[in-house]
Amino acid sequence: MKLNVDYVTKLLLLLAVLGLSNFAYAQRTITGTVTDAESGEPLIGANILVVGTSTGTITDFDGNYSVNVSADATTLEFSYTGYASQRVEIGSQTTIDLALSAGEVLDEVVVIGYGTQKEKEITSSVTSVNAEDFNQGPITDPAQLLQGKVAGLQVYNRGGDPNGQNSVIRLRGISTVGANAEPLVVVDGIIGASLDNVDPNDIESMSVLKDGSAAAIYGSRGSSGVILITTRTGSKEAGKVQFTYNGQVGASTAFNSVPVMGREDFLATGGTDLGSNTDWIKEVTRTGVNNVHSLAAAGGAGNTSYRISGNYRNVDGILDNSGFEQFNARLNFSTKAFNDRVSLDFNSSFTNRKSDFGFREGLRYAVLYNPTAPVNGADAPFSFASEQYGGFFETLGLFDSFNPVAIVNQNRNDGKRNEITYGARLAYQVTDNFSITGRIAQQNTTVDNRQYYPTTSLFRGNATSPTRKGRADFYNENTSFKLYEGYGTYLNNFGNTDLTLTAGYSYQQNNFESNTLRLGDFPDNSQDFSNIIEASQDLQNAGFITANSDASPDEKIIAFFARANATFDNAIFVNASVRREGSTKLGADNRWGIFPAFGVGVNLNRYLAINNVDQLKVRLGYGVTGALPGQNGLSQPIRQIVNGDDGSVSTELIRAANPDLKWEEKAELNLGVEFGMGRFNATLDLYNRDISDFILERTVDAAIFQVDRRFENAGKLNTQGLELTLGYDVLNSGKVNWTTGVVLSTYKTTLEEYVIPKEVRANLGAPGQNGTNMILVAEGQEIGQIWGPVFEGVNAEGAPTFVDLNGDGMVVSQQDNALDDNADFDVLGNGIPDLEIGWTNQLTLGKWSVNAFFRGAFGHSLVNTFRAFYEPVISTQSSYNYVNTDLRVPGLTSAQFSSLYVEKADFFKLDNLTIARSFSFGGNSAIRGITVSLTGQNLFVITNYTGSDPEPSLIDYGAPDNGADIDFSNPDVLSPGIDRRYNYFASRTVTFGLKLNF
Amino acid sequence: MDKFLKYFMFSCLALLMAACTDLEEDLVGDITKEITVAGIDTGGDTGGGGELTAAYAELRNAGTANHSSYYSIQEITSDEMCIAAKGGDWFDGGILIQLHQHTYTPTHDFVNNAWTGTYNAIGTVNDKLGAGTLSSEETAQARALRAYFYYRLLDLYGRVKIVTETNTDPPQATRADVFNFVEDELLAALGIPEVSASMDLSGSLLADGGSAYVMNRYGALGLLAKLYLNAEVYVGTAMYDKAEIAASYIIDSGVYQLCGVGCTVKNLGKRPKVESDPVNLEGYAAVFAANNEGNPEHIFSVLYDEVSGTGMNFSQMNLHYSSQFTWNLNEQPWNGYATLEEFYNSYEAGDKRKANNFIVGPQLDFSGSAILDFASDDDDIQLNYTPAINELAPNSLREAGARPSKFSFKLLGRAEMDNDFPIVRLGEVYLIRGEARARQSGNWTDAEADVNVLRARAGVSEYNGNLTGDEFLAERGREMFQETSRRTDLIRFGKYNGTWWEKPASEPFRNVFPIPQEQINAGTGLTQNPGY
Repeated sequence: MKLNVDYVTKLLLLLAVLGLSNFAYAQRTITGTVTDAESGEPLIGANILVVGTSTGTITDFDGNYSVNVSADATTLEFSYTGYASQRVEIGSQTTIDLALSAGEVLDEVVVIGYGTQKEKEITSSVTSVNAEDFNQGPITDPAQLLQGKVAGLQVYNRGGDPNGQNSVIRLRGISTVGANAEPLVVVDGIIGASLDNVDPNDIESMSVLKDGSAAAIYGSRGSSGVILITTRTGSKEAGKVQFTYNGQVGASTAFNSVPVMGREDFLATGGTDLGSNTDWIKEVTRTGVNNVHSLAAAGGAGNTSYRISGNYRNVDGILDNSGFEQFNARLNFSTKAFNDRVSLDFNSSFTNRKSDFGFREGLRYAVLYNPTAPVNGADAPFSFASEQYGGFFETLGLFDSFNPVAIVNQNRNDGKRNEITYGARLAYQVTDNFSITGRIAQQNTTVDNRQYYPTTSLFRGNATSPTRKGRADFYNENTSFKLYEGYGTYLNNFGNTDLTLTAGYSYQQNNFESNTLRLGDFPDNSQDFSNIIEASQDLQNAGFITANSDASPDEKIIAFFARANATFDNAIFVNASVRREGSTKLGADNRWGIFPAFGVGVNLNRYLAINNVDQLKVRLGYGVTGALPGQNGLSQPIRQIVNGDDGSVSTELIRAANPDLKWEEKAELNLGVEFGMGRFNATLDLYNRDISDFILERTVDAAIFQVDRRFENAGKLNTQGLELTLGYDVLNSGKVNWTTGVVLSTYKTTLEEYVIPKEVRANLGAPGQNGTNMILVAEGQEIGQIWGPVFEGVNAEGAPTFVDLNGDGMVVSQQDNALDDNADFDVLGNGIPDLEIGWTNQLTLGKWSVNAFFRGAFGHSLVNTFRAFYEPVISTQSSYNYVNTDLRVPGLTSAQFSSLYVEKADFFKLDNLTIARSFSFGGNSAIRGITVSLTGQNLFVITNYTGSDPEPSLIDYGAPDNGADIDFSNPDVLSPGIDRRYNYFASRTVTFGLKLNF
Repeated sequence: MDKFLKYFMFSCLALLMAACTDLEEDLVGDITKEITVAGIDTGGDTGGGGELTAAYAELRNAGTANHSSYYSIQEITSDEMCIAAKGGDWFDGGILIQLHQHTYTPTHDFVNNAWTGTYNAIGTVNDKLGAGTLSSEETAQARALRAYFYYRLLDLYGRVKIVTETNTDPPQATRADVFNFVEDELLAALGIPEVSASMDLSGSLLADGGSAYVMNRYGALGLLAKLYLNAEVYVGTAMYDKAEIAASYIIDSGVYQLCGVGCTVKNLGKRPKVESDPVNLEGYAAVFAANNEGNPEHIFSVLYDEVSGTGMNFSQMNLHYSSQFTWNLNEQPWNGYATLEEFYNSYEAGDKRKANNFIVGPQLDFSGSAILDFASDDDDIQLNYTPAINELAPNSLREAGARPSKFSFKLLGRAEMDNDFPIVRLGEVYLIRGEARARQSGNWTDAEADVNVLRARAGVSEYNGNLTGDEFLAERGREMFQETSRRTDLIRFGKYNGTWWEKPASEPFRNVFPIPQEQINAGTGLTQNPGY
């Protein structure tokens, strides 16, 4: 293409016109009030849209609105959740007051991939949650807004770590076994945008695409489900900028910890007396104070609207020296030009976060540390050279034992993260029936983490060493993502048939770079030498410094897609899509795959017209998506350098190539029924999901491949599930409203084929419980079975005895025999809940509102590892504290994993209770409205689980010991159900909130 | 307007075309091709070097001197070592007790680790051989080195696949086939058709002596001697004559000397304030010291280095946590491996090997003060290793058991040790010749001459017509302790299935390990050894 001057001039002119377009057209302002038809109460936040444009506004606290419309606008559409939409001709009116009626069939628009669709036309399982239904309180991770609100969506952040290092988001169970695949996040149309870069206060609504037919348009990245986030946009009220301030102050405390012995009990049990009385858990925990402040300004004029927001969060964890401080800014801007034929949306966000990751090991060692040990070395019962340990006491010579107060106070584990995302979308309405859209987006994240262990820290600082003490770790990372998309949409209707065709192209590129550095041997404890690493003596001694750098190849996904949506008779809906997708991650001949999806829905009520039934829709969807492995280079051989001591260099193979690696495929069939009758509504989804050729690292014959590991397509997984959403307006009188809703989900995942018939995995770990694999993975069986001998009693030696399950007269309970035919092993529980439930209640009493959200999970078990290690009174372990629960077996003096440590972890909790009061002010007041609220999270939990937190543990990070680092990058998804010693204690938070509109 | 839109659409189209559909994966953070840089010959004793650097490094990677692989299954299945369960500590699901009590199963992790470690080593050698870049001398070394790894498989599992080229899948061979393969490869490297009194090694492509880190003629012959010594076990045919010839050839060559009086190295473990620590290590102790490189007794040995040649972790594996302060070790030890009391007591009081091979008694720290163990589980607060081990499980005392220290520790040592590990050394060659002679004649006193060479060095009285088979085995044990020889020796002497301490009698099929279940599951036609 020739780029001539004429073109550039025109482009500049266009930009100028865009900027000035606000003033280019004659405008009118229409104002009015929207009320409830029955009660006459104003409706707050009702939507008003100028039909045929994206211009619109929402009502304020008094139900008032004001909207600018262009001269050619003819109709306004009023809508409100739970009410029937209405269209009103504008004519010559400047004031339009309207009463909306509740309880009629909704006609909501839902964001789907590359477009929107009327909710009634959707043939797949999509759940949309609006801001007013989100979980309240000081929520820092947007996914937690949806916790318990969407049937089939699991969001678990075990414990209350404010930095959420092990939160898990999962839709309909595991979708692959090779990696912990989480749902794709799409923010304002930007695929793969980071959830961390969205402040919860900026979110308008979230849609969750649950089944294969819905997600298929997004291809492989959508194979674990899709969460679509729409952020708030500006209003277009002329000349008026609306401000919203949202502030929260809260306090968190540990509401549950691991019960351990105090001094007296410990000594009575035979513990070693070190002369003091210390409550270690109390010593390392605190009341964490949270502060959240958000300020948003929204405004606009004519065809242009904008919203700018700034969010500040300062959250302290319940563990000493843990928490974060975050600043986030977001700008959304949209405008239209050329008779509204060209529209431009621009949005960008920026997040700067400083985290004190702290040391969750502080909690672990607080549980097992001797309760008679002093905090400070000066209080030791014998002479103790405490200067060497920074004044702290340490139990030297004991494996896996560190003074927890010394861990959390001496050391530093912090990080900085900067994230910037921007996206621009340009759409052109070529004809009334045809539009084209182009989108460009980029995201860049930098991470800079540091850890510093001074020379006096026994924990990772090697303080016992006479020569090499202190350690500094550095990690930095840079990830970038680029997205280019273009698609066209054709809309038309033929008689009673509506047709929408969409086709396009998508290019996605990820890049990743990282560096790590670890060195030590610092001069002394006089200062933090991580800022002066040239002082490290490791620089003079070979072999101590660890340095790594890594970079990904250009990791690309390229796709061509097409979709057709047809509506017949306004009651029969058909959607079909196909996507041809290619990836760099697969073998050369298998890079491209074709993934189809199809769905059909029928509004039966239109034909059956059953009495009193408002809605009866049945839909069936089927979709196939591809899935990709997390790592790059799996189809290629990977070697590593071997250095000789004469300067020679050679290499050896460390991973065998698999040039035949191909797409993992997920095929999902979803049947849904939507039912509405009066105040009651229900949605039922049934699905069957088959994953085949999943990609995972497996043992191959080392004799053939030189090494015993490579990645292969191996195995099949089947998930069948049921999701039910129920809603009921219990009370709907003028002053008092009470709506309640329940979401229920259950599923079962079966491993149909695997690389080997069966295996056990998830090692319990040191001290002394290595080689103890607790989870059974077997072909034809459910995922997540906890496997071990069944506890019977204690023998004379204090060792556990086990049940002779097969009655053959001998008890085969050694771990090495776990899979033998004659082994007395049994399924001791399952790590995945049978049933998950969320129960929402919204009660409105005039200006007061109460929001109570209960959540529960049933049928899952947890291995309480703290008990498995520290509950038996082991004579050789008299220097560790003992876990002390009602389940303790007297006389048991040796530790061996069995059913004794597997506990049912069913729970039901009051997850969130919010009481709010709103105040509104007269039209002349500068302040339009105030809402004050009080929120409590985790107010009560009903459970028999004796550990800190009964929430399911869906993934496992293994068993780091003796101060080793926890590797969060490589979770095992086949080993749910283990409550590891690295878990953060659960917390309870009470928050005061203030919302101000002005 | 129309013109602009045309341009716009056109440019969109151009953008799509430019983005194109190129999906070539160009890895930038990984190495995908072989890299070879020749070493610099400084005339010193260096590792294999050059093209074979990675191949020789596999001797370390294959579990020769660390936990959970070859070393572990050779040692703690025997009557010289165990890892006792100390309450919950070192119970590890019972797999360590299983090894000692011979109830190991096909799913035992260590059995699998030894298999994969050895095949990974073979794979690397095959890779180098297949690259076509080796000189004929290097090819001979590589084949002999590969034969050694197959010797391990022959000894451990018996029936394995003999793979000589990457990405080929031969059937599982019989134990006799593997034996023949090892023999043939070593003979080929030596350039002879068979081991005989009249053999002439001058045609061998292997070096005539030189660095012990490089497979030379004597290393290959030593391996053949070990192979023939065990031939009756492996293939049912006695080949003691050949074992004797091979051993004699090495001894008679005069290239190697037993490290005895005057053969000393500086004691790198001497604590500055502990008078009883010797300044130098002499004789037997020098053979295994941290600075044992170039020892005249080493014929073929594994180069370990705390920086560039890692894989020996005895200080971690054997010592109590608090023994860190004895040498001010860089990392806290794990308190795992200990010597059986009966084995420890089989040494006479004055045996120099006893002093070198074990750490017992009250322990002093770097500066000579008592090491206090506040977590002690006996009533003595000073760390004090007792030769007696109260029980194998479940509540073995944490200070129980003499700790193996043949490969002695150095001050400020790292978790990775520096001591070279001999695979063929002259001391063992004497034992092989003595035993081969005795077994041929049926008279154990015929072994006395060779055994007495070692007895003299150890400072204990020589045998004089009183050597028996059992005594020979005991003497071999004393000399070869901690050198991964004991399991093989017990099998050859028919004692492996017998009883000792807390080990009950075991079935004869235990004399080979099971083929690891994980390998059978890998789906390439391996069948299990009988009995498992």
